[in-house]
Amino acid sequence: MSPLPIPAPDPLPLPLPPGVLKALLLATFTLHLMAVNLGVGGSLLAAAHALRGKEEDRDLVRRLAPLLPASVTFAITLGVAPLLFVQLIYGPFFYTASVLTAVPWLALIFLLMAGYVLLYRFVDSVETQALRAFSGIFGTLLMLGAGLALTNVTTLSLRPDLWAAHAAASPHGLRLNTVDPTLWPRFLHMAAAMIAVAGLFLAGWGAWRHHAYARRVGLRWFLAATASQALWGTWLLVAQPKPLLDLLLNANTAPGLTLWIAIACGALALFMAIPASQKGAPAKDAWAPVILALASVLGMILLRDQMRDAALAGAGFQAAALPHRTDWPSLGIFGLTFLGVAALLVTIFRWAAQPPGSPDTGKELS
Amino acid sequence: MNHPVWDLPWMGSGWIIGLVSIIHVSIAHLVVGAGFWLAFMETRAQRARDGELQGWLRGRAKSLLWLSSIFGAATGVGIWVAIGLVSPTATQHLIRAFVMGWATEWLLFAGEMATLIVLVRAYGRLSPGQRLALVWLYALCAWLSLVVINGIVTFMLSPGKGWTASHAMVDGFFNATYLPSLWLRSCVALALGGLWAMAGRIPPGLKVRVLKPTALSVVAGILLAGLSGWFYFQSFPAAGKELVLGNLRGATGLAEGFRWALLGLGAFLLPALLALWAFLRGDAFRRSAAVFGLLLACWGFGGFEWIREVARKPYVIREVMYSNGIRVEQVSGYQKDGFLPANVWARTFAASKGDTDLARGEAILRSQCLACHTREGYRSLKALTAPYSESDLVALVQSLRELDPGMNPYLDRMPPFAGTEQEAEQVGKYLHTLKAK
Repeated sequence: MSPLPIPAPDPLPLPLPPGVLKALLLATFTLHLMAVNLGVGGSLLAAAHALRGKEEDRDLVRRLAPLLPASVTFAITLGVAPLLFVQLIYGPFFYTASVLTAVPWLALIFLLMAGYVLLYRFVDSVETQALRAFSGIFGTLLMLGAGLALTNVTTLSLRPDLWAAHAAASPHGLRLNTVDPTLWPRFLHMAAAMIAVAGLFLAGWGAWRHHAYARRVGLRWFLAATASQALWGTWLLVAQPKPLLDLLLNANTAPGLTLWIAIACGALALFMAIPASQKGAPAKDAWAPVILALASVLGMILLRDQMRDAALAGAGFQAAALPHRTDWPSLGIFGLTFLGVAALLVTIFRWAAQPPGSPDTGKELS
Repeated sequence: MNHPVWDLPWMGSGWIIGLVSIIHVSIAHLVVGAGFWLAFMETRAQRARDGELQGWLRGRAKSLLWLSSIFGAATGVGIWVAIGLVSPTATQHLIRAFVMGWATEWLLFAGEMATLIVLVRAYGRLSPGQRLALVWLYALCAWLSLVVINGIVTFMLSPGKGWTASHAMVDGFFNATYLPSLWLRSCVALALGGLWAMAGRIPPGLKVRVLKPTALSVVAGILLAGLSGWFYFQSFPAAGKELVLGNLRGATGLAEGFRWALLGLGAFLLPALLALWAFLRGDAFRRSAAVFGLLLACWGFGGFEWIREVARKPYVIREVMYSNGIRVEQVSGYQKDGFLPANVWARTFAASKGDTDLARGEAILRSQCLACHTREGYRSLKALTAPYSESDLVALVQSLRELDPGMNPYLDRMPPFAGTEQEAEQVGKYLHTLKAK
């Protein structure tokens, strides 16, 4: 068997220890994913309720819609950071996969922009309910298409054994990574999770603001989407290559343990969400499933990283072994900027949360 | 190139970077200028207690959010996607060198988006003082993100000996072209932001109040950009300056694109005349003229960026890495021991085509030439090599192995051939087959 076509790594050392960069990757990816769940999953929920068109649904959409464009803005902004860290740590794998599937990867940008324009139309439009709902649904589908482009590159980056055949079959980078059996279940698993987490955000908001309908329907979205994971999650599990499947089925390994803890948290959240989603259930009952399900999501993010390292270890790559030389001055500049921007964000979000209508606000202009 | 090659027929993958970046760079500079314009106008409106103007400025802030959140942010991701596809080896090298710079810029961009979102979405909750602070903070964050990115862009043109020795980010960041470029880009931003403001729908009652100061900022931005452009050019490395002047004399094969770039630079001056019209006859000024002026200015800015790229040739990072992703210090090794043994993706491609001499020639050509050329299209290899016989082409490619500029006349704009004599022969033979295609 010929060796795998993995490009040589760049000769420059990493500017920080790989462990620190990995922590930054996971932290920023978590923030990105939460914003994506709220923005894209929330758009799907809002469009579905706009289509339903009852008074309580219209009220829900009115409250939810203004959050969506800002969430997508943050999803894109927060997505750049993990993209940067992935290139830094896993460059040879990431670039190879993206070049081999260049056209779908580049399409991500256009899908994102078109979806975003439709989302703004959905939020700000004064068109009929049906047209608005169409904008919302079509916009969400386009953004899910951008998600598919990402899943496509991610799955291909983990399978150097498929690269040579993919390159020969698709010299201009047109093909999706459909040869990989994990592509579709992974995408559907992520899409269902997006709906589930958006439902959780809605339920949490409903519990916080005593909006019984939001809390109830949020939990129901969560229930339906999470229950569907029995199908997508199982499909994704059994589609894994044999060595990875063995790792996952063995609770004595770190990935196996993470998987079963995350599934346990998700299952417990599911069972607790059933009574909490009934009419007349106390608002506080929503909190336990919300917290447990978010713990499950965090577990899955960790598992995703563990599985990436396990897959690439099979190709002889160890992220922890990458050479580094800490660049203190650049780290200092980053640290100072971080403190400055954090202080800025705290201040301006406090301003945004202050009550309206004081005599010196700009309300008279709104 | 160490990585696989995205073989985009006819157009060439380099154009993808060009198209995405001209949109992104124009928007990115526009929002910097628009931020300062918004802050200045809001300050004036509040001082004059001009409620009508403040109400209109609120709408402009919303429009700015729309522009920067949809097209600015998405094309920003687009730049990452495009450079990773076209020049993965160079992108990886730059990320290794500047990741903390990009991370810093990312923080500033997050601050930029957050301040604008709060300004637009929480407008009714904010006091006038808070609005003013927000809009100035927005402008500052946007400009500081330019301050950071400028360091990385100028590094590619003039990395400096300090960085080559230390590989420390700060040594590469504050390089010879850094300050002139920052000054120039800030002036361009002022002009683009002002033109965008003039292109907005201005109520008749506000026209003169808005257009007078805005037109002044556009004229000032354009004139100062012209002046600082000259200083920027003076700071170019000598070889880069020579290459630009050579193009100006039409001495190289890049002259066709260069003409468009020069016309663009001329086009950049026209919006100043339009702005003068707006300044003198604000009530009669038409927004379509501002839209036209904005498009001309974007073309001019694109022309400037194209010339800057020309000045960098044949490198992607001057004197560090050639435009095909081969590092300068790798060339002698490849010429001695071969390109194919050291480049797994060129080998993989050759193997997929039977590992014949022609397959090897094509594989090396894809890795070393397709960053700038296409087979039949933009900078067509078929057209460029049409007059030559097979033996001529073999001799030509072998002559490109020369590292002495006296012996290799292409060395000022094209990387040397990084392979053995036998590999040069394989590429020459493959080039000859293009005639039959």
